[in-house]
Amino acid sequence: MGRLIRSSLASIFLALMVFIALTPILWTILGSFKRLKDIVTPVPKLFFSPTLENFVTILQNPSIRQGLGHSVIVVGAAVIIGAILGVPAAYSLARHVRALKDDMQFFVLSLRFMPPVAIAIPFIVLYLDLGLYDTLAGLILVYLVTTISTVIWLSVPAFERVPKEIEEAAAMEGCGPGEIFLKFALPIAMPSLFGALVFTFVLVWNELLLALTLAAGNATLPVVAASITSLGKEVPWGVINASTVILVIPPLVFIGLLMSFINGMMKPARR
Amino acid sequence: MANIQCANIRKSYGGHTVIENLNLDIADHEFVVFLGPSGCGKSTMLRMIAGLEEITDGTVSIGDRDVTHLHPGERGVAMVFQSYALYPHMTVEENIAFGLRRQKVAEDEIARRVKHVAGLLGLESFLERKPKNLSGGQQQRVAMARAMIKTPKLFLFDEPLSNLDAKLREKLRTEIRKIHLDLKTTTIFVTHDQLEAMTIADRIVLMRAGAIEQQGTPAEIFDQPATRFVADFIGSPAMNFRDCVVNRDGDRIELATGSMRLQVPSQEFGALAHGATVEVGLRPSKMDLAAPGDQNSITGRIVLVENMGSEGQVIVDVDGQEMSFVTKAFRTLEPGQPVSFSIEPASIHVFSKETGRSLRKAG
Repeated sequence: MGRLIRSSLASIFLALMVFIALTPILWTILGSFKRLKDIVTPVPKLFFSPTLENFVTILQNPSIRQGLGHSVIVVGAAVIIGAILGVPAAYSLARHVRALKDDMQFFVLSLRFMPPVAIAIPFIVLYLDLGLYDTLAGLILVYLVTTISTVIWLSVPAFERVPKEIEEAAAMEGCGPGEIFLKFALPIAMPSLFGALVFTFVLVWNELLLALTLAAGNATLPVVAASITSLGKEVPWGVINASTVILVIPPLVFIGLLMSFINGMMKPARR
Repeated sequence: MANIQCANIRKSYGGHTVIENLNLDIADHEFVVFLGPSGCGKSTMLRMIAGLEEITDGTVSIGDRDVTHLHPGERGVAMVFQSYALYPHMTVEENIAFGLRRQKVAEDEIARRVKHVAGLLGLESFLERKPKNLSGGQQQRVAMARAMIKTPKLFLFDEPLSNLDAKLREKLRTEIRKIHLDLKTTTIFVTHDQLEAMTIADRIVLMRAGAIEQQGTPAEIFDQPATRFVADFIGSPAMNFRDCVVNRDGDRIELATGSMRLQVPSQEFGALAHGATVEVGLRPSKMDLAAPGDQNSITGRIVLVENMGSEGQVIVDVDGQEMSFVTKAFRTLEPGQPVSFSIEPASIHVFSKETGRSLRKAG
């Protein structure tokens, strides 16, 4: 009897946590389908006639379309270049570097300690001189600091988990270090590496401060979404909700796809 | 197929030397087992021959070719690891054929050879599976197939059976031995299990602290241990050791401690000095219940009888110290009973207290 009460209490508690966590998100999604007059009612409305107006407004708004395009280019380039440079670096750290390995890893991590403002101000000065201010290339460059360091930091343990004997067995078959990396270490570590890339992607996709200070003209999606909130007295709540939904969709889809991919690779063995 | 020569091998990590001036020759077709406790350098030795570990000093030749500085892939050796080390992202067939595909061997030739080794090891029905869907024994068979398909000059096994359960270990041990009889490829097999070494080896190289303690056929190692360490390491149940004083009376040599009196032949133990203290080793399996009038009988009180199936190990209190012997007639024995057991003079081992070396005259 006591067990029954305890387990039902646990279920109720869990349901409550899920409710608290999901309600704002669900409310946002709901709001994105409402007309303004349905949002600003004194009593919240659960039933209303849904509309796609807000999404139409968003997707017809050139600055939002442009922001989406910029975000895809900047974040895509920063993550891909970060992976191309960071993953091999992580492998070298995991397997071939003995001296100073911990110091190097700590240095890489320490790049993430700095508050973005501390990066932003010197970068503004540098970029103004270099002509990179307010360019996508400049933003990609500064995001690379984030992506490379995060990818390295998360990928080193992924490579350390690859059994050394497998790489040695490959060496016994005549494979050189490059071949061992590409044909063995990389595919075996892939599920964990994907996790690292997803995390990195989300990190820069949601980045606001650097994008705002370094490339306000070539705004990315978070910058545009932020600017909508300052559109005057008549706040277009429906449009804001819709833009939030659009902002959240790419990382969600990305994570969803990768989770199913990882689950597929990690399927428990048949016995 | 090839003979192996290791000359003046030294291995050190930083300033710490683990193997010093080791020399070893292995004949073509020979099945050699490196045996020793963990940390004795047997795996390091194997990995140096494989090329996975750098050789600090000295040379390794395989088939009269100096391979000391060659990449592992160029030495013509194949290795089976304790953890199997199968490629988890490839099927069994891809695992086995990887080396050949890499060398751009024609596909029909690969198919033929995969079929052959898969047949030898009973893997035909698993070829399309991924390694994680196989049992430990099957995985180790795949690892062996992957090693065999390259028809190497030398097989290296690094404790390949240690992760398997006892029954499977015995079965695979027999299989490895049979395959060797068939292919006759020179083989080095590393293990810390003395029974495994005894059953599988043409020759055992027993290592201790980075040096070879003794090498010889299993029978030589078992019957004529060169040192106390070897005598203690080999054989189960373990050898009994007792400190004894040498009493010489002309040609009669007697070893005495407490109530124990052992006579040993003077032609083999002529070097023993009167009054010296030596360590005597008595193998439990070489002793049995004493018949009336037996020489070299030892008397004590039974502490425990351990049933091992067809035989029993009897633990006996002799002058306050425990000794054990093995007998088939253990079922009538009860703890608390007095018992006498005896040993053949030829099976008595005598070691120096100082050096631990055997004091039996060679040959």
